[in-house]
Amino acid sequence: MNRFLAMETLRKWVPLLVLAGLCLFFTAMNPHFLTLRNFARIAISSSPALMVAIGVMFVILMGSIDLSMEGTVAVCAVLFALTLNALGGSIAGRGWVAIPVALFAGAVMGAVNGLVHVRLRIPSFMASLSLGFIGIGLSLLITGGDRILIDDPLFRSLLTVRVGGFPLMMYAALACLLVAWFIQDHTTTGRNFYAVGGGEELARASGLNVGRLRIIGFVLAGIFYALGAIFAVARLGIAETETGRNFMFMSITSVVVGGTALRGGEGGVWNTLIGVLIVNVIGNGMVVIGLADYFQDGVLGLLVITAVWLSTDRRSLSFVK
Amino acid sequence: MLLLVGLRDINFLSPQNLVTLVADVVPLLIMATGMTFVIYIGGIDLSSQSIANMATVLATISLPALGVGSALLVIAAGLLFGAVSGVVTTRLKVPSFISTLAVGGIALSVGQYASGQQALHMDTEQRRHAFGWVTGQTAGIPHILVLALVIVAIAWFLQIRMLPGRTLKAIGAGEPVVVASGIRADRYKILAFALSGMFAAIAGLMFSIRLSGGSPTLAEGFLLPAIVAVLVGGTPLTGGVGGVLNTLIGTMIVAVVRASMLYFSIPATGQQIFFGLVLIVAIATTIDRSKMKVVK
Repeated sequence: MNRFLAMETLRKWVPLLVLAGLCLFFTAMNPHFLTLRNFARIAISSSPALMVAIGVMFVILMGSIDLSMEGTVAVCAVLFALTLNALGGSIAGRGWVAIPVALFAGAVMGAVNGLVHVRLRIPSFMASLSLGFIGIGLSLLITGGDRILIDDPLFRSLLTVRVGGFPLMMYAALACLLVAWFIQDHTTTGRNFYAVGGGEELARASGLNVGRLRIIGFVLAGIFYALGAIFAVARLGIAETETGRNFMFMSITSVVVGGTALRGGEGGVWNTLIGVLIVNVIGNGMVVIGLADYFQDGVLGLLVITAVWLSTDRRSLSFVK
Repeated sequence: MLLLVGLRDINFLSPQNLVTLVADVVPLLIMATGMTFVIYIGGIDLSSQSIANMATVLATISLPALGVGSALLVIAAGLLFGAVSGVVTTRLKVPSFISTLAVGGIALSVGQYASGQQALHMDTEQRRHAFGWVTGQTAGIPHILVLALVIVAIAWFLQIRMLPGRTLKAIGAGEPVVVASGIRADRYKILAFALSGMFAAIAGLMFSIRLSGGSPTLAEGFLLPAIVAVLVGGTPLTGGVGGVLNTLIGTMIVAVVRASMLYFSIPATGQQIFFGLVLIVAIATTIDRSKMKVVK
């Protein structure tokens, strides 16, 4: 029993240890890794990724999966930029409306996703994959393949203004992280996500409306994708279909590597924060020590397989599809 | 559908046009055929597109050194990546959509590394020497079409007549029973993934020969139509029924829809939205819900 407990504790702290180990490793390879400027760079690349990862984490907590983020992020980013530019081009003026518009668009995409998954009883990975494709098509249709430039100094201050060496974006992302943490730990909905992930039959038997809960989860995910889209646009100053690229693989890797189990019911926002940092530290560190960035996909692939393998309790599974 | 478009434009139904139409979908057909095996056992393969991408690159860079042998290299690489997906899914118990996504990421890295992130071109003379028999035509019928049909026929034979094919059907219909009967289901599942990877590589090879080049993003946009072709053909996501011939029909449907959209000048982005919707409808109508107590 004691050994079992020790294993559990160890498993809980492994992601943090991995993160620390990675930092030490990259510092040893190149001391420039351990500078404030480089950490700010990691913070900038992590902020949009963190939002998207938190979004999908809510869905994974319930034991489902959402693969639609690339499409949703693209649509939200494009709509955000279009609204902003149409309403005067500055969030100081009427342009602030663009933020709720983007969040609403994300919520609607999430709701459609959840409805298709729950009402048509389609496995979530296929439902969301299809809707992701639709989202990418939609964003292409809206933009016609063009890039939309944003040059509102106030909006770009998310990137340009730095407090204590880190851009405002990071603080905004951390604020959203706290909101997500509050939802997860201190609301009935958040606790119910864990109940569904831990055992759906049991949750249903105790009177939870599992279907509605799943839809809420997907809506919440959509809203966080929209936040991710806004940060991604702030980071580059450009909104286009490509804005959503790579988010799918990266966010799911982050969630899983952080220690949130794919079968649901385990993990949470702090795990996701660590996971996002691990993924981004690897991405940054590989560039710092002079490895080409295209190795990243391969490394992430190995990472995700290892993480799922380690987190799976194989005694409880008879077969996997 | 074919007739509807034919009414609008009689040229559409000319034999020449139909042959071109069919020859255009050969890579898609081959990829979808491979994917059928994985969906047949109730899994999914999201790595096909990346493996095909990698195949175009490998085929192009190995052509000068190996000639026709480059085809073997590419096929072996596809088989290997598919088998890795299979091993990860069965032995490490990672759900197939994650394992294939991850293996796809690795394949993408290999493709980008091998190509130096550029579009590569095949030497025309070398291509004709090694693969001229693929691009040629006899009596108006492109060889590539014949080749594709031969490949599909082999896949069909494997599925219908051979032990592995029958076992795959059994796994799709009810895996616990297969395991209980003492059959090593894992081996056959790995085989299904390996076949899928191999077919994806062949699809990439065909694509690369036709376009006379390779790049790590050449086969982008193949994944959605390939899955649609399998599901529309009538192999449900839960597996067990359907098969290679269904996929042949599914691919034809996809090809005709695509070509008719071109005729009605619907932009490519509209196609993606349309196929996404078709996918949802196809899954919702074909899926076998008695196999799923809980839909996750």
